[in-house]
Amino acid sequence: MAKSFVIELDFEACKGCGYCLEVCPRNVFDPGRAFNAKGHQPPVAARVDDCVGCQGCFYACPDFCLEVTCRE
Amino acid sequence: MDRLFHKFLRARKIPSTACSGCGLGQVHKRVLLALERLDLGPDDVVWGTGIGCAGRQTFNTWRGDNFAGTHGRVYAIAAGLRVALGPGKKIVLTAGDGDAFGIGLKHLLNCARRNVDMTVVVADNLGYQSTGGQFGITTPRGSVTDSSPYGLNEPGWLGGGLDVLEILKAAGATYLARHLSLDGASSVESLVMALENPGFSLVHFIYPCVTHFGAVTLGERDKGKILGSFRAMFAGGGKGGPTDRDDGRGGETDGGGRKDPGPQAGSGPVSGDPAFRLKRGTYHDGRGLRPEFAASLIAWTKNVREGAGR
Ligand code: SF4
Ligand code: SF4
Ligand code: SF4
Repeated sequence: MAKSFVIELDFEACKGCGYCLEVCPRNVFDPGRAFNAKGHQPPVAARVDDCVGCQGCFYACPDFCLEVTCRE
Repeated sequence: MDRLFHKFLRARKIPSTACSGCGLGQVHKRVLLALERLDLGPDDVVWGTGIGCAGRQTFNTWRGDNFAGTHGRVYAIAAGLRVALGPGKKIVLTAGDGDAFGIGLKHLLNCARRNVDMTVVVADNLGYQSTGGQFGITTPRGSVTDSSPYGLNEPGWLGGGLDVLEILKAAGATYLARHLSLDGASSVESLVMALENPGFSLVHFIYPCVTHFGAVTLGERDKGKILGSFRAMFAGGGKGGPTDRDDGRGGETDGGGRKDPGPQAGSGPVSGDPAFRLKRGTYHDGRGLRPEFAASLIAWTKNVREGAGR
């Protein structure tokens, strides 16, 4: 069975730069509509099943608020 | 928050006050990944910071012992600390381009000369960005900035045949590397080598300042596009993830030995200039080749004492 992944995006800690969305080769993220307390709009991991765990979004995220882990 | 935050950082300092999309956090993250790889924790590292965006955004974020130096002086303070601490603890310093290569360059060179065991991480935003976006000492020639409205006409420490890492190498540094903050695993690898080196190490990271360099010099407000332009300017690559998925280990040439084309007024940053296709990865590896300052000073002092007692 193919590996599957968990994407944890901390809504309040995100600054909405969109880099995760920009670099993902599998188009996992969608732009978000909701605003967090600081006024940023975090993206939404809408297609987690398409994630291949490349960690591109993790490396690109400048704000310690995104983690991709392998589901056992 | 991610696992790096939980392992290493202080809650009241994160999220940092850096602008949304500032590449500085990418640099910070890579340093923490290297510490994680070496299984080092808050008790094993003393973390010092300089001034400017790079110093301010990393200041006091480290959960262990940390300090801030006056502008350009954090290297000298760290040299003293190195003697006081003994070899057990790592010293990591995060500073900006102005702090390290401008006002602090002489202190930096003297730490390299003495081969003081420390890891200097230069987070280079290509100018004086915390003060509003004036050109600095690594700003690409031709760049339009707040203080160079017709384009920058003087050479910096990068490009046009000059490279500040060459000076540090000549001064005696025992490990040097350069990366973009967008580089992935290869940049963590360089940091691991830097941290393991019992001597003076420096890793130079160039990162995108979206607010000034991106908006004014690159003329772009869309952060995703800034990321793309930045990558194209320094790595020649296009859209994609971390740049070392294309070519992590420095396939590009540096500017050494090339004829300096000189400034071209109004031409914008010289993104087509191969001088800015900087070689990425290890720049100089002289680990273990020179004695370390504090260790030899301590041994020498001990010898003198014992000699005097006889
Ligand atoms: S790990 Fe790779 S595939 Fe998965 S969401 Fe991040 S960038 Fe996309
Ligand atoms: S890269 Fe990080 S800070 Fe930027 S939008 Fe994605 S999760 Fe948020
Ligand atoms: S001014 Fe530029 S370098 Fe400073 S925090 Fe903002 S984006 Fe980063």
